[in-house]
Amino acid sequence: MSRLRIGILMAVLVVLLAGCSNHQKGTEGSGTDPTEKVELHISAAASLTDALDDFKKTFEKEHENIELTFMYGGSGKLATSIDNGAPADVFLSASKKDMDTLEDKGLLDAGTRTDFTKNALVLIANEDSDSAVTSFDEINPSAFDHFVIGEPDSVPAGRYTKEVLEHLKLWGPLQDKLVLASDVRQVLTQVELGNADYGVVYSSDAFISDKVKVLAESDSSWHEPIVYPGAVLKDSEHTEEAQVFFDALQGEQGQEALAKYGFK
Amino acid sequence: MDLSPLWLSVKVAVISTVIVFVLGVFLAHLLAKRQFFGKSIVESLFLLPLVLPPTVVGFGLLILFGKKGWIGSWLLETFDIQVVFTWTAAVIASVVVSFPLMYQSASAAFDSLDNKLGDAARTMGATEWRVFRTITFPLAWPGLLAGLVLSFARGLGEFGATLMLAGYIPGKTDTIPMAIYFAVEAGKMEKASFWVIIITALGFSTILWLNWWSRRNLRRFASQKR
Amino acid sequence: MLDVSIRKQLDHFELDVSFQAHDEIIVLAGSSGAGKTSILQAIGGLTDPDSGTITLNGKSFFEGTKTSLPARSRNIGYLFQDYALFPHMTVERNIHYGIHKKTSAETGFIIEQLLTVLGISHLLNKYPHQISGGEKQRVALARALATEPELLLLDEPLSALDEETREECQDELLRLHELWKIPFLIVTHSRTEAEKLGDRVLHLKKGLLVKETHGTMKEIPVQ
Repeated sequence: MSRLRIGILMAVLVVLLAGCSNHQKGTEGSGTDPTEKVELHISAAASLTDALDDFKKTFEKEHENIELTFMYGGSGKLATSIDNGAPADVFLSASKKDMDTLEDKGLLDAGTRTDFTKNALVLIANEDSDSAVTSFDEINPSAFDHFVIGEPDSVPAGRYTKEVLEHLKLWGPLQDKLVLASDVRQVLTQVELGNADYGVVYSSDAFISDKVKVLAESDSSWHEPIVYPGAVLKDSEHTEEAQVFFDALQGEQGQEALAKYGFK
Repeated sequence: MDLSPLWLSVKVAVISTVIVFVLGVFLAHLLAKRQFFGKSIVESLFLLPLVLPPTVVGFGLLILFGKKGWIGSWLLETFDIQVVFTWTAAVIASVVVSFPLMYQSASAAFDSLDNKLGDAARTMGATEWRVFRTITFPLAWPGLLAGLVLSFARGLGEFGATLMLAGYIPGKTDTIPMAIYFAVEAGKMEKASFWVIIITALGFSTILWLNWWSRRNLRRFASQKR
Repeated sequence: MLDVSIRKQLDHFELDVSFQAHDEIIVLAGSSGAGKTSILQAIGGLTDPDSGTITLNGKSFFEGTKTSLPARSRNIGYLFQDYALFPHMTVERNIHYGIHKKTSAETGFIIEQLLTVLGISHLLNKYPHQISGGEKQRVALARALATEPELLLLDEPLSALDEETREECQDELLRLHELWKIPFLIVTHSRTEAEKLGDRVLHLKKGLLVKETHGTMKEIPVQ
């Protein structure tokens, strides 16, 4: 337990430090030197965090003139801030809907939109859980207290989860057990800490946690396909470099990095 | 429109303010004008929630009050109470983030009092409790009230730590800030605007009332002086 | 009788004094910072000396290793330099603060007498910030004596007053002492005041009593 805490503290520190150094480099990079590095701002769904951080290393090694700065968050939130003028060169969304919104508003660089990866939904429980559930339809709403999912209207994973539960006629019975989270990582945290009995996250999220166990994977026919659409944004000042990055992500190394973290 | 977030927010803010007021006044009075080794460390600890990001506070609270947390597991085993995902959790988060404001105000109010007034009361046979009740408290009241109002406003607006500890359960833990956050996230701008107006009006009228109250009392004081 | 024999380490020197007081006016004189107020505070129970004894009429206030009697149980009157009137209470409530709820006919009479002697009956409903310095001084005096103390401690009681008021108040103090017949212990840095008020004047220098004189100018005014 204390190990977990220290681990988390370290992680927080690392993230903070990383945030600082990225920021500093960013300011230095915006000098007047013509041979300067191009800094790409990439708004990416939070679920992509580890895979992209991993990919960043290999990518930056091969493209020394490009520096990647990621802005992670819920896809809906990111889309809203891009719509409101937040600077971003590439948008990597976890949901079709949020990408559609930006496309409808004409904020995408036409023709660049592509689905670059897929994900699946999994039912998770704490590693110490004694639950015998092995598939989604075995969920018995009267047997536990809290079922935590992403908020369906704002978190794509939550929307897919809702579709699954509705398909299985569990949405109604589960109503008073549901706890809604603001993003998938929060779902994971609550299950990791043992506060919720069950949670539904992407397989990629469950993949990186050793504090939860995966009880079941949802059938892909129960929900809209979980595709990750990406696109270069129209307002980008570095469309060329942005396309280089997006292509690389769809290339062998990008897909390898994604697969490494549980994406399909 | 479902108004439950309004009632919940007010309930949480009121209860949290009462707790914070009693706790803040008690601790500030205990430490006021007292010097001991480590006092500044204790006071810094009290003020920590003010400077920490809400998510860090929320995470700390999860570690303490989670089902497997130090306090949470004890509560669960002893009283079969689960704090996480209940409105009690919203109260706890609210207490923790607004306590520093109350403590600061109360501390400043007590420190600015003239020691001699209490001493005078003591030489006239007053017990410590009577000194507090009849001298310290009434004279510190304007400062305490400021702390009270700030705590209430802070409690009303608390979001980050609450989301982590109480989760978002419509009808159960959806305070106004929570309702606003998820409405914005879901692009329901109309709903979000509604709640933004409500909470702004609430916060604004609270502060307006404080200003009006203190000015009225200042005026009364001034007219007495003439 | 008040019997004081105390030692206390102050910032720059050690306070080390012994004296006794009968029902008389003792003036503690000396320049500021000589330790006068510290003596009053020790007797009043607001600070403790490091060692020594303080007794009043056979009752022990402080005794070396034993615990010291809290200020509220010492039954003394204390007049602070700036009077320390409670700003949020009327003059009447200030004066009644130390009196228990059940006021006997006797206490009622004592307060009545105090108000008359000090000439402050008309101020009862005023607040401290509404009255003059001399009136404040009288109210504070009435408040300190209303509890019928066995000893009155006065810390620079007249220093904040203009000369005329000061002389009036000095006369009042002397008259009150005639009526009250308890030890008055007055701290002052003014030599003339010491001469005028004190039956005995104890001169304090850097925490030590260096000289004792008698008030040469003292005369009890007739009313």
